[in-house]
Amino acid sequence: MSADHDLDLAVRLLAGTPTHEGRDPLTLRQWAIAAEEFGSRMTPEETPVRVVERDDGLAAGLLARYRSRPPVVELYVDTVARAEQLVVERGWRHWYPEGSVRAAALAHEQAHAWLHHAHVRAEFKRALGHTALRLGRRRVYAHVAGADELAAHAYARAACGLGRSPLLLTEALAAVAYPESEK
Amino acid sequence: MGVVILLVMAAGVAAMLSRKLPTAFALVLLAVVIAFVAGAPLTGKDSVLDTVLQEGAPALAATMIAILLGSWLGKLLEETGIAGTLVRKIVEFGGDRPVFVALGVLAVSALVGTVTGSAPAAMLAGLIGIPAMIAVGIPKVTAAGTILMGIAVGIPFELPVWQFFSTALELPVDTVRGFMVKLFPFALVAAVAYVLVESRRRGVEHTWSLKSVQDKPAAPSRRKLLGDAPWYALLTPAVPLILALGFELAIIPSLLAGVLYALVTTTRPRDMNRRLLRTLYGGFEVAAPPITLFVAIGILLAAVKLPGAVDALEPLVKAVSPQNPILFVLVFTVLVPLCLYRGPLNAFGLGAGIAGVLIATGIYPAAAVLGMATSYNQVFGVADPTSTQTVWSAQYAGVSPQQVMVRTLPYVWVVALGGLCVTAASYL
Ligand SMILES: [Zn+2]
Repeated sequence: MSADHDLDLAVRLLAGTPTHEGRDPLTLRQWAIAAEEFGSRMTPEETPVRVVERDDGLAAGLLARYRSRPPVVELYVDTVARAEQLVVERGWRHWYPEGSVRAAALAHEQAHAWLHHAHVRAEFKRALGHTALRLGRRRVYAHVAGADELAAHAYARAACGLGRSPLLLTEALAAVAYPESEK
Repeated sequence: MGVVILLVMAAGVAAMLSRKLPTAFALVLLAVVIAFVAGAPLTGKDSVLDTVLQEGAPALAATMIAILLGSWLGKLLEETGIAGTLVRKIVEFGGDRPVFVALGVLAVSALVGTVTGSAPAAMLAGLIGIPAMIAVGIPKVTAAGTILMGIAVGIPFELPVWQFFSTALELPVDTVRGFMVKLFPFALVAAVAYVLVESRRRGVEHTWSLKSVQDKPAAPSRRKLLGDAPWYALLTPAVPLILALGFELAIIPSLLAGVLYALVTTTRPRDMNRRLLRTLYGGFEVAAPPITLFVAIGILLAAVKLPGAVDALEPLVKAVSPQNPILFVLVFTVLVPLCLYRGPLNAFGLGAGIAGVLIATGIYPAAAVLGMATSYNQVFGVADPTSTQTVWSAQYAGVSPQQVMVRTLPYVWVVALGGLCVTAASYL
């Protein structure tokens, strides 16, 4: 059941990403599975990156941010703290061990940096298998917007040994941060 | 008298700046006051009621129709999924290279900009384009700026704008077209430079955002059922352009041809009537703000062209207007910021009145005033943090219009400089 819910969240993220409006839910599901599979198998190399801590994350709705120029990961410590608190409130400690949110954020952003390498991009596109153009036997693989986000989350989950997808935590945080938009 | 008129104009700018009055209302009020100060009678020849209000209001009618047709075509591009399909194709082909996506969305914005311009174009290209750019890692400010710079590439070929300058400055469309073709390369180079330089400077960014899993209310789009627009329908934005630029067809028939092309390439015959009417009425809604403005500008133009106003303003304006070409370029380049924040040089505001004064008093040839006004148009079309398209793009991307202004202004300022140089070289 829980794995189903994680996948539903992943599909919802894709469906909410522009350029996927009107896409068949089954296709989105296949992409979500492929992206998570790819992400959890990824082996990004350790690159030294500056980590900057900020505390305006809840207001901005952010947990972490990666910027490539210069390479820096911004960690929104207020959101991370809220997430840790939420893990306790919901009784999710067995899924998200102590300190794992911070580790997951760093892993997530490390994955984004890795996904910008040309050979990783090409492999990822092939794994997703979405065709942009077909000329006889040749085919050009298409970029799937939002899939890199799923791969980054899947990598974070695998790297930090989380019991559930970080998306579950994201959903719970969003519910706390934007109570009014909960239907 | 001239000084009084200038003071009245300054008061009008203050009213617009402080948002005490919507621009259109301020311009009409300004026109009536200027007419009275200039000693115009209430009725009859060169009068407040007959000349300024009655004849001024519909003076830009052709522009209004062009705007309406452009908005209609814009609605069609939206409803038939043409704009959305263009953006989706770009992301599919180049989504893993953010610069490619930004350049592609820039091109789409430019195309859409030639059709509708300003706010409708920003929405048409930006609605999918901005989140698509952000999704592939382009920073928010860069994304908003890309839409605006793209629209500005389209501005020189925006047919309603040709119509506006042709009527407002009493110049043949040929002259307007001729200058716009020279202005276009500057806009294009600046926009491409913006994307390349800003991408290099800012790189990419990715966030772990709490909003990503929130349920977004799915837009009730008919496109859902329709799928992608066919590839030949994607040529729609180019149709009016090719006819007006390549075949020198008049503006209104060119736009009508675009409407027809979009319709027959995307719509089954039995749905055509309904779609035509629905998008036309939707177009009226989109066109309402600019049409209101053009009514007001027509009235203002009629006021500043009254003989009394011209006589009063001529010595003043002559005293401050540089005649030397180099000085002309320098002075008006320095004055560029005066077209921002609904400033006095905004051609879709008081700037139209000032242009009218410059022409009516014979200080510069009309073509030089055209060059000046269109150069400024390139600046505030992108950077003015009070103009609808800038506000919309910035807010939709989640940044402030001022942030977008700061980042785009250097590029469009150079475009204005280029336009002024061409103007001085060609017409002074
Ligand atoms: Zn991410």
